[in-house]
Amino acid sequence: MEDSLFSIAINGIFVKNFLLVQFLGLCSFVGVSKETKSAAGMSAAVLFVMIMASVASFLIYTYLLLPFGLTFLTTISFIIVIAFLVQLVEFIIRKFSPPLYRSLGIFLPLITTNCAILGVVILNARLDYNFTQSLFYGISAGLGYSMVMLFMAAIREKASSLKVPEAIEGLPHAFFITTLLSMAFVSYFGVIPT
Amino acid sequence: MADMTISGEYFRGIVKDNPIFSLVLGLCPVLAVTTSVENAIGMAGAALFVLLGSNVIVSALRKQIPPITRIPMFIIIICTFVTMIDMLMEAYTPPLYKSLGIFIPLIVVNCIIIGRAEAYASKNTVKYSIVDALGIGTGFLLVLVLIGAIRELLGTGAIVPFGFKLISIPITPSTFMILPGGAFMTIGVLMAMVNYNRIRKARKGGQ
Amino acid sequence: MNPVAIIAGSAIVIGGIGFLVGIILIWASEKFAVEVNPLVEEVNEALPGANCGACGYAGCADFAEKVVDQVAPIDGCPVGGFDVAKVIGGLLGQEVKEAESIYPFVRCNGGINCTDKIDYDGIEDCKAVMMLSDGEKGCSYGCIGRGTCVRACPFNALEMADDRLPHVIKNLCKSCGICVEACPNDILVMANDTEQVHVLCRSYDKGKVVKSVCEFGCIGCKICVKNCPADAITVTNFLAEIDQEKCTNCGQCIENCPQKSIMMRELVVEAVAV
Repeated sequence: MEDSLFSIAINGIFVKNFLLVQFLGLCSFVGVSKETKSAAGMSAAVLFVMIMASVASFLIYTYLLLPFGLTFLTTISFIIVIAFLVQLVEFIIRKFSPPLYRSLGIFLPLITTNCAILGVVILNARLDYNFTQSLFYGISAGLGYSMVMLFMAAIREKASSLKVPEAIEGLPHAFFITTLLSMAFVSYFGVIPT
Repeated sequence: MADMTISGEYFRGIVKDNPIFSLVLGLCPVLAVTTSVENAIGMAGAALFVLLGSNVIVSALRKQIPPITRIPMFIIIICTFVTMIDMLMEAYTPPLYKSLGIFIPLIVVNCIIIGRAEAYASKNTVKYSIVDALGIGTGFLLVLVLIGAIRELLGTGAIVPFGFKLISIPITPSTFMILPGGAFMTIGVLMAMVNYNRIRKARKGGQ
Repeated sequence: MNPVAIIAGSAIVIGGIGFLVGIILIWASEKFAVEVNPLVEEVNEALPGANCGACGYAGCADFAEKVVDQVAPIDGCPVGGFDVAKVIGGLLGQEVKEAESIYPFVRCNGGINCTDKIDYDGIEDCKAVMMLSDGEKGCSYGCIGRGTCVRACPFNALEMADDRLPHVIKNLCKSCGICVEACPNDILVMANDTEQVHVLCRSYDKGKVVKSVCEFGCIGCKICVKNCPADAITVTNFLAEIDQEKCTNCGQCIENCPQKSIMMRELVVEAVAV
């Protein structure tokens, strides 16, 4: 694909934001965005795993699946790789940095089934990105996710002291806030001519 | 397990354990593919295929799978069916395949399917696992079609699944409903309605 | 490609990746192993898992660790109560005595009866209101009624009623005491069922000031002190306080109080169970 690194970055963070435009990673989003602390931990974990997964899955796709015509094994091999990386990282963090484990390690198992991670790596494969492009897309997707996550957590923390009708409290309220946020991102459509 | 009936388990999957409104799982595809009723039906069909397949296999092998490796095993079993339906849809329903895009392979990480494998299929017989899959699948289908209908109707003025013009209303449609904002707002409103109903029932039941 | 090659190829690739991944993870789980006391895991299983923090520690897992290390008391989980304490005691091989159940009590009868000093329009939070010139009500010691305690309760056991006072839903209350900490005016107090008589006022203002803003406030007249057969009441700074250890629940103070500030707990509307 001919996409420049810059356009990949803008696409990943703004135009095709993973949470608000592509609808990837929503379960963790509504669950973890209640406080800034957990949102920050989750975002860091997601960014970290996205980078590693982009690299590892690119290698597997390009050197193992493509040459042997086994591209139908994409989904299964990617998910194995993601689960493996997450588990390995969890071991390492738990051993070498207990404070880091307490703040971000507990989110790692949640990330294995996060649509955003699998989404990035499958998109990398489908868009035929080369190594740098894949890496860049992984980083941009992670940054876009973190940005929206932190916005949302900041808003929800303040919003928790507001009095809303009982039926709207909690998830519906979060969704209405997300509506407004996502409409803000619509203004980025067409910024990168596709 | 003597009080489990086929119809009981089936309807539980639709109402009490409704995947979206009760369990709040699998949100990503719900919001992404409900831009039209056609896409909603397609996604629900694909999900049902995977859910049935995985529930059956997991239930059949439930005594053989060692507990400590169960989650990776479930994922691999689910992956098999996902890859199957992915290839089948690419071959036999190209327009649907194109509009669902990456959400077909993403069924593998759909919490509903893994959740059912873990919470139900690994603990119940094949017969009831099939019923559960059908129940949850129906619940999923109903929710998807509901949201898809709302978004398509208000977003384009008509519901046109698979070329059949089902219904059209004489209002000026707003593309907002097709955009992400419309998705979030629709599900926000629906959830608020479900919550309101739940609170009202709890209040009445308590007093 | 012919089917056999495809099947063989898939098996080799996926099998190979799986095998490699498995080996690496087995190695990693040994190399990066962290010592975990299995007893901690067992205690953690016995806990309610609400992670409310009422024990004073960072969640159930943390409390489990501290209990096994004998830093936290075995009955330190108010939510689990006696049942959980018994289980934990069993796991650690120690006896546990039964404790009485306690519920929060609202020591204010102002609410809508208390006049407002200013017209407040801001964040719905009692702490926020108190930071703004000592609150919006005429009585700066009373219940503000903006619901900080209601929101603080992890079990939704408190409700703000029409009289702008919180009410306790007894069958949801888990005695964790978080609401008591949340109230900026110290209105709530944990009391068990034998502590029936309470003064519904926290105001240290002079009698005349109290009467001008609230019809139920304690004016410090000391009539209750004179009438108490158990000498359980003292008046400090124009506020009567009952020593629950000495109080016999006889109710003499209630009859004699000119302001009707003292109440028998059961008669207070708080016991609105759902």
